Amino acid sequence: MARNFFTLMRSSAPGATAAAEPDRATAPPPPPNVKQDDAGGGVHLDPTLAAVRHEITEAVDMALQLRNVSAFYGTFQAIDRMTMPIPQNRVTALIGPSGCGKSTLLRCFNRMNDLIPGARMEGEIEFEGRNLLDPNIDAVEVRRRIGMVFQKPNPFPKSIYENVAFGARINGYSGDMDRLVEDALRRAALWDEVKDELDKSGLALSGGQQQRLCIARAIAVQPEIILMDEPASALDPVATLKIEDLMRELAEHYTIVVVTHNMQQAGRVSDYTAFLLAGEERVGRLVEFGPTQEIFTNPLDQRTEDYITGRYG
Amino acid sequence: MSAAAPSAQLSAFAPRVRIRRGASVAFMVAALLAIAISMIMLGALIVEIAVDGAARLFTDGGAVDREARGGGIISDLPTPAGMGWMTWAVPVAILFPFVGPRLVNALVPGLPRLAERAMGFIVVAPAAIFVHILYVRFESAYFVEYAKAVGIDGASGNIFQVLGEASGFQIVRLLLAGILVPLAIFAAGWFWSHRMRKPSLIIPAIMIAGWVVYLFMDPWFLSSFPSRKPAEAGIFSAVTGTLYMMVITAAVAFPLGVGAAIYLEEYARRNWFSRMIQVNISNLAGVPSIIYGLLGLQVFVRVLEFERSVLAGACTMALLVMPIIIVSAQEALRTVPPSMREAAYAVGATRWQVIRFHVLPYAFGGMLTGNILAMSRAIGETAPLIAIGALTFIAFLADSPTDDFTVLPIQIFNWVARPQSGFHEIAASAIIVLMVILLLMNAAAIIMRQRTRTDW
Ligand SMILES: Nc1ncnc2c1ncn2[C@@H]1O[C@H](COP(=O)(O)OP(=O)(O)OP(=O)(O)O)[C@@H](O)[C@H]1O
Ligand SMILES: [Mg+2]
Repeated sequence: MARNFFTLMRSSAPGATAAAEPDRATAPPPPPNVKQDDAGGGVHLDPTLAAVRHEITEAVDMALQLRNVSAFYGTFQAIDRMTMPIPQNRVTALIGPSGCGKSTLLRCFNRMNDLIPGARMEGEIEFEGRNLLDPNIDAVEVRRRIGMVFQKPNPFPKSIYENVAFGARINGYSGDMDRLVEDALRRAALWDEVKDELDKSGLALSGGQQQRLCIARAIAVQPEIILMDEPASALDPVATLKIEDLMRELAEHYTIVVVTHNMQQAGRVSDYTAFLLAGEERVGRLVEFGPTQEIFTNPLDQRTEDYITGRYG
Repeated sequence: MSAAAPSAQLSAFAPRVRIRRGASVAFMVAALLAIAISMIMLGALIVEIAVDGAARLFTDGGAVDREARGGGIISDLPTPAGMGWMTWAVPVAILFPFVGPRLVNALVPGLPRLAERAMGFIVVAPAAIFVHILYVRFESAYFVEYAKAVGIDGASGNIFQVLGEASGFQIVRLLLAGILVPLAIFAAGWFWSHRMRKPSLIIPAIMIAGWVVYLFMDPWFLSSFPSRKPAEAGIFSAVTGTLYMMVITAAVAFPLGVGAAIYLEEYARRNWFSRMIQVNISNLAGVPSIIYGLLGLQVFVRVLEFERSVLAGACTMALLVMPIIIVSAQEALRTVPPSMREAAYAVGATRWQVIRFHVLPYAFGGMLTGNILAMSRAIGETAPLIAIGALTFIAFLADSPTDDFTVLPIQIFNWVARPQSGFHEIAASAIIVLMVILLLMNAAAIIMRQRTRTDW
């Protein structure tokens, strides 16, 4: 089953060590000149797909498994055949220069791209044994289970209470709404600041508070995965730190995928990192994926190293 | 609360089955009950005003002269239509948003808010009905006298007897009034529950102010039919004709226009077809109003055989203002930022839920503003109504939507065109009335726009 232990073999970089895994023994090693994708039979000779995928050494389930995911806006291809896992109850960071398709990829995970006229996705994102990109899958249900926090805080112009309660309410939650709201706000580390004024408009909060309100709103529908697109980019350092602490805490219960331009942030909060890059034709591709530790201390692709050390665009 | 509690609570939410969407049964029942109660109150209202309407109808086309009415002194007039419902609408409007939900919350804590509000209505209704009964008691003695004076046979104060004489359109008219009042009450409650205290107080304030104005103003000019003698002529049929027409116009044009705007903005694919519709709507807004009159003459008066009626006039006016309503509603919808829609989608809302709970509420103020402005255009339009043949001398109240009618601008036009200076004077009075109505509508639009604006 897809949610079992994953073994990802680094396929292109020389000198990598492949740990012996039980089921690896049965599979023949791929020929050194052919890039083997783990998409089952997907053998590519296309050198651009030679993403470096570090080995995942810890025992971890996979929340999502991407296989050859491509996304198009009309005729423009924004990302090209990305293959990687998203480990469960971990923070995965998507990094890369502007325009490399980080947001696009993130918006594939909860089918947000469906809302853009002309947007189209190909490939497979496996989630609990089903392909999220399958047109027969109800995108509304996907979005309930895979929540999202946006770059710019966007609370509803309603009370703080209503902001948090809305998602649960439309999804038919019939339990104690006050408790749910309180719990979500507590988890988002906002409760103490707003508990006396839940009737205040969400727009009357500070930017950092608004962003935590948005996180509470996402939590209140009890998703399994929370997607965050540069959640701290509009915030000051103190608020940023709060959000980062929050991400670490949330990772105990949720799978988190976060887009960030801040290398320190990626290093601080994430367990895994994916480095994306768009070439001349502006098509985003996965360059390197692996444990954050590895990516930051021992990047195997020159471009990753350049980007992380700040030498890249 | 302990640190462990939140997770226990959240896991109560956990069953990952597809959860039923929509209103709970309890809420439906509460809402139905509230509707039933308000229908009963509405019934009382209908009877109340039907009595007035019938009484007025039986005064032989307004032939009761000023002497017979005691020189137009307010206390000698028949129970003014509309005063009756104010006696219960005012307490309801005041009590409902303040007291109702809180009372319900105290009695049965933990209900959903909407149910709380609906039940609050039920709780407050008896108080209102009590006030109403007091009022009827107070008035009925006088009513019997009046009914005798104007010749309703065997008038005994039994208002149901008189109701039998009321016509179909009167009932429709009263129903409309009955719908507007609960709507006003609901609006008051809605503003209140959305922490917009001032608007929620303005609505009852307007009701009280209207009542006071009615008490102190000499209503003779407003409540008399046109006459050959300027001194006896009034604008009763013109004002009521205008109001009937506006209500029907708004009732036709607003839902259609807003629906069209929602379709164009939220549902239609951006293709040549929707672009064509869009361009043509903009073009229609620029078509001279007389053309609409001719269209109305052919379509409503002749083909659909509405005759020269209120209905034909209102439908024509609805066509005339529809482009304005659609364009302004589209603009209102466009002011809702995409990030709001995305935020709602991201917590698992369906497209309809996004529209219903976010886009429409945020855009509603703008839509209402556009609608009022469209109505204030329609209220002054004369040409299309002359084209469809609205009359100028109407000495009775429209009895059904297919009756002849007149409106203020036509009445003014008619009086101005006469040689006697007396008519010029009352034309001026009528113009003042028209201007006051227009200014009130525009003021309402401005206030609405200020109040409902959201700074994103
Ligand atoms: N709605 C859209 N329609 C057409 N093209 C789009 C759309 N959104 C993004 N793109 C294009 O897709 C590519 C990837 O965009 P994306 O927003 O995913 O980049 P990003 O990595 O998130 O960049 P940034 O770091 O600046 O947010 C870009 O070339 C962009 O121009
Ligand atoms: Mg982005």
